[in-house]
Amino acid sequence: MREVEMMTGNTAAAWAARLADVDYIPAFPITPQTEIIETLAKWIGEGLMKAKLVQFESEHSMLTAAGTASLAGARVFTASSSQGLLYGFEMLYSISGWRAPLVLVNVSRGVAAPLTLEPDHNDVLSARDSGFIQLHAENCQDVLDLILLAYRVSEDKRVRLPSIVNMDGFYLSFTREPVRIPSKEIVGEFLPPYTPTLPFCPSRPVVKGASVLSGSLYTYFKHNMHESMIRASEVIDEASRHFEELTGRPHKPVEGFYLDDAEYVLVMSNSFTTIGKKAVLRLREKGVPAGLVKLVMLRPFPAAQLARLLKNRRAVAVFDQNLSLGLGGIIYSEVAGALYNERKRPETLISVIGGLGGKYITMEEFEYIFNLLQHPEKIEPGKPVFLFRKDELRAVENTIKLAGVV
Amino acid sequence: MLKIRFHGRGGQGVKTSSRILGRAAFLDGYIAQDSPIYGAERRGAPVVAFTRISREPILERGYIFDPDIVIVVDETLLDDERARPLDGVKSGGIVFVNTQSEQAQVENVDDKLFIKYSITDAALRVIGKPIVSSPSAAAAAKITGIISKESIIQATIDELSELGLAEEALERNLRLVSEVFDTIPTPQLKILNGETTPREVIQLEYKGVIYEDIVNVGNASLRRVGNWRIFKPIVDYQKCTGCMLCFVYCPDSVISLDAKNKPIIDYENCKGCLICVKECPLHAITAVREVKIYA
Repeated sequence: MREVEMMTGNTAAAWAARLADVDYIPAFPITPQTEIIETLAKWIGEGLMKAKLVQFESEHSMLTAAGTASLAGARVFTASSSQGLLYGFEMLYSISGWRAPLVLVNVSRGVAAPLTLEPDHNDVLSARDSGFIQLHAENCQDVLDLILLAYRVSEDKRVRLPSIVNMDGFYLSFTREPVRIPSKEIVGEFLPPYTPTLPFCPSRPVVKGASVLSGSLYTYFKHNMHESMIRASEVIDEASRHFEELTGRPHKPVEGFYLDDAEYVLVMSNSFTTIGKKAVLRLREKGVPAGLVKLVMLRPFPAAQLARLLKNRRAVAVFDQNLSLGLGGIIYSEVAGALYNERKRPETLISVIGGLGGKYITMEEFEYIFNLLQHPEKIEPGKPVFLFRKDELRAVENTIKLAGVV
Repeated sequence: MLKIRFHGRGGQGVKTSSRILGRAAFLDGYIAQDSPIYGAERRGAPVVAFTRISREPILERGYIFDPDIVIVVDETLLDDERARPLDGVKSGGIVFVNTQSEQAQVENVDDKLFIKYSITDAALRVIGKPIVSSPSAAAAAKITGIISKESIIQATIDELSELGLAEEALERNLRLVSEVFDTIPTPQLKILNGETTPREVIQLEYKGVIYEDIVNVGNASLRRVGNWRIFKPIVDYQKCTGCMLCFVYCPDSVISLDAKNKPIIDYENCKGCLICVKECPLHAITAVREVKIYA
């Protein structure tokens, strides 16, 4: 194996699990995630990994096994997508409540109906309140690095909460690009072995996930989880610094692109950020002071860092690749909340919905956003702008006509 | 940055083509990105795959709308309303078409350069099967003019080994790749206009409740799939005894029987799977190479 290798996001995720030397992989197939599990199964079959892989009858059972194995002391890796994540959804809250520090990779895919395979973030963002740390990848290298980072942070005794690492289906999952594979030694130094707290042990009985049946106890524990989640932010910073020392690759919870003198800023996350960066470069060539903020860490939500990066800007747009029906973009609301108490907050904050179900966003659409930022009077404040093109509309109308619905 | 788009049919291996090319570029020190787009397609449906090659970090992902080079692995896609392989090719770009042509022909059509060559026939000659994935990558690599023969060979070894290809089959693939690489010319790629036609951004209008229902059912029968064939099954009615085995085994039910139980093949829909040729106990059905000329 070369030090740098062409690999898909799915392969990068499998590499991270292999390097993290995970013990247990409960699995259930779903496009576009399946390739991760197939790769791991192949490696285990070839004796390249020692982990135990078990295929379950559903994602609900898969996540139940994942959480309980983690409590028993195993380092657990699992993965799902879209409907699969939602099918196991109930267990997400249990896993975090049990303080089981496993890592789940979600390969984003739009949630049916209508059924599709390409990505948006309604699946992963539905888990935003569940007590999972959320790290979202822009490229295949991020996928590998963020999974390693997630294990380190989740297993840290100051945190002890599970993580979701998100990558976009197709745009990362099936896209190959050069990825640097850290050596076993480097990963060994970065990621110490997992030492569970009071693991299941026959000679010393322990009840895990006990019922509380009391609002006071419930609130007490939830507050404790919330505080641990907030503290995860510092632990991520600390771990990122160590990771950068070892690999030379920085991973910040929030990253700026051409931000120094930017007056018009686009906030976005995941793989479309790559295309957003190209748009910023093109606008810079045209003399527009454009910039971009990439959200890597969605939970804990980096409100203070965002407020610091966005204050004093002329206008900000939040690109949401998700849709809360009847509200608009989910991240828009969260950014607006983060800015409310910042006195020098930007006067204009625009909500843009784009890339639902993997809908491609062209340079024209990105330029449209920056045009709105320069002329916000053209739109109703707070009302989400749906990115769409005339050529797409023509194709859509044609398809609907073929379907025969009048 | 060079952008290459491959068009083929499910099963022809254009994903592998894009990967071989991507890896070859990577081995030659470029930054490469390769990806396929597929959904829930069956075998034979139009499939697209992409390779981007650059010296600088690649700030693009997904579908390539404005390719410098297009590789049409299956020429019948040129008439396919949905595949539209020539869409968006840059002015001055190069289109490679796998078509009936023993020698590599180069000609200008409008503002694009067309290269025609039959990699299917080359594959039949060298491998004995119409394998088009690795030679398509070789053709693309040569057309770019920036990929070394050494790297395309090594990339073929890497990618096909990963797919678990047996050594002898790999050996033949390498001979084919080498031959195609030597045969295809490297015309000068002169992109006259790199900018795509601007696409208008609009605001969606609300037109009342819309259901995702399909009312027009049964239109699959309108789609003719006979043009997928590379080989055509021909019945020798002198030998045929009317045993009906071909009729039973045809997976697409395109064989019907006449009054004497002899098969009548619906060539408009026969995909050329040749199961009938294999099953006929009297060897009364033969496979004849079929050629479609793209004018």
